[in-house]
Amino acid sequence: MTLIHARRLAAAFSGIGLLILGACAVTGVGVDGSVGVGYDAGYYEPYGYDYGGWGGAYRVGPGRGGDRRGGGPHPGGAGHGYRPAPSSRPTPSIPSGSRGGSRAR
Amino acid sequence: MSSSIRRVTPIVPSVLASLLLSLIAVSSPSAASFDLPPLNSPASTEHHAGKMVWADLVTPDLAAAERFYGGLLGWTFQTVHSGDPDYAIALAGGVPVGGLLQKPIPAGEHRQSAWLTFFAVHDVDASKRDALARGAKVVADTKSYPHRGRQAVLADSEGAVFAILASSSGDAPDYLAAPGEWIWSSLLCQDPDAEAAFYQEMFGYDVFDLASDDGLTHLILSSDDYARASANAFPADSRRRHAHWLNFVRVASTADMLDKVVAAGGRVLVEPHVDRHGGLVAVVADPAGAPFGLMEWTAGDSKVEPQ
Repeated sequence: MTLIHARRLAAAFSGIGLLILGACAVTGVGVDGSVGVGYDAGYYEPYGYDYGGWGGAYRVGPGRGGDRRGGGPHPGGAGHGYRPAPSSRPTPSIPSGSRGGSRAR
Repeated sequence: MSSSIRRVTPIVPSVLASLLLSLIAVSSPSAASFDLPPLNSPASTEHHAGKMVWADLVTPDLAAAERFYGGLLGWTFQTVHSGDPDYAIALAGGVPVGGLLQKPIPAGEHRQSAWLTFFAVHDVDASKRDALARGAKVVADTKSYPHRGRQAVLADSEGAVFAILASSSGDAPDYLAAPGEWIWSSLLCQDPDAEAAFYQEMFGYDVFDLASDDGLTHLILSSDDYARASANAFPADSRRRHAHWLNFVRVASTADMLDKVVAAGGRVLVEPHVDRHGGLVAVVADPAGAPFGLMEWTAGDSKVEPQ
């Protein structure tokens, strides 16, 4: 192989390298593969939720603020329980300001 | 040998280059068209770790889902991606509130459509590491979207699936959800204490144990002095105990919505009843079975102002 051929070969493979970089940029494939073209947030849950027993006394929503507190972590939660907010702090509610209002944060 | 090289060498790079050009041609339209809008517009540097900031519905029939939610809640839709997959942004009063993703149910599996809840974090990768160290599993690994930010889908130690998102445009300011917008998220689980500890470590929540009449644990999870979500033990008679997040849309009248839900092909899972705040809540399912809540909330001031 002559020197000219070697140069041609080097130039060709340099071009290929540039094309690979270009392909990565266009497709969004980063060096860690973490930027992709698809959207894979779709997840199907196991079939069938059961809401039996959800009667009038079963409440999952927020209060208006200052709701009566319970007794902190339950005995069964010892060892893997949460750190309760200080008992002096009232239970907060959801935001009350309107969009763009003065009290919105 | 030498002449053979002369004949072959100019051809090989040309063939490889053609292949790469084909790769670009095939892949670029898909990448260019899947462009999620920014979460917050105009962009800001405001962040609220632990706040629900987005929800994605995975459904086998996008058109049916658009008809249902559009008719029920007045949502409008903006197609973001057509093809594989179909994806549309849902807007309530022009405000993006979530995405609808059409995806076939895996063959041979008995699966159910569901809403996926996205919580704001500062650093997705760090949060994912923390979660995995506490027993979580990866459902969909971290991925970045140019205008949206970086996100990952995880399952907590009880299997409740949720997503974390570090928005590149910041998080929306805190305000009272308008009708048609998400107003609340509840986790239903076996062990609310352990789950609250898990999410407290992830999001820095303050945890408030509420007195309850049903003898079950109900915890309020807050950040920035606002209630963000609740963690609740399963209802006493619940037989199928698969931990999951359930999101509520604010509505003007829960009762009025139920007839519309049924007429549009949905189901009522929990009849309306008065919840802690004094308004009616109900749980319904869309035609594909995805459950979500309806919650009335009058705009009266909260008793406690943020500190």
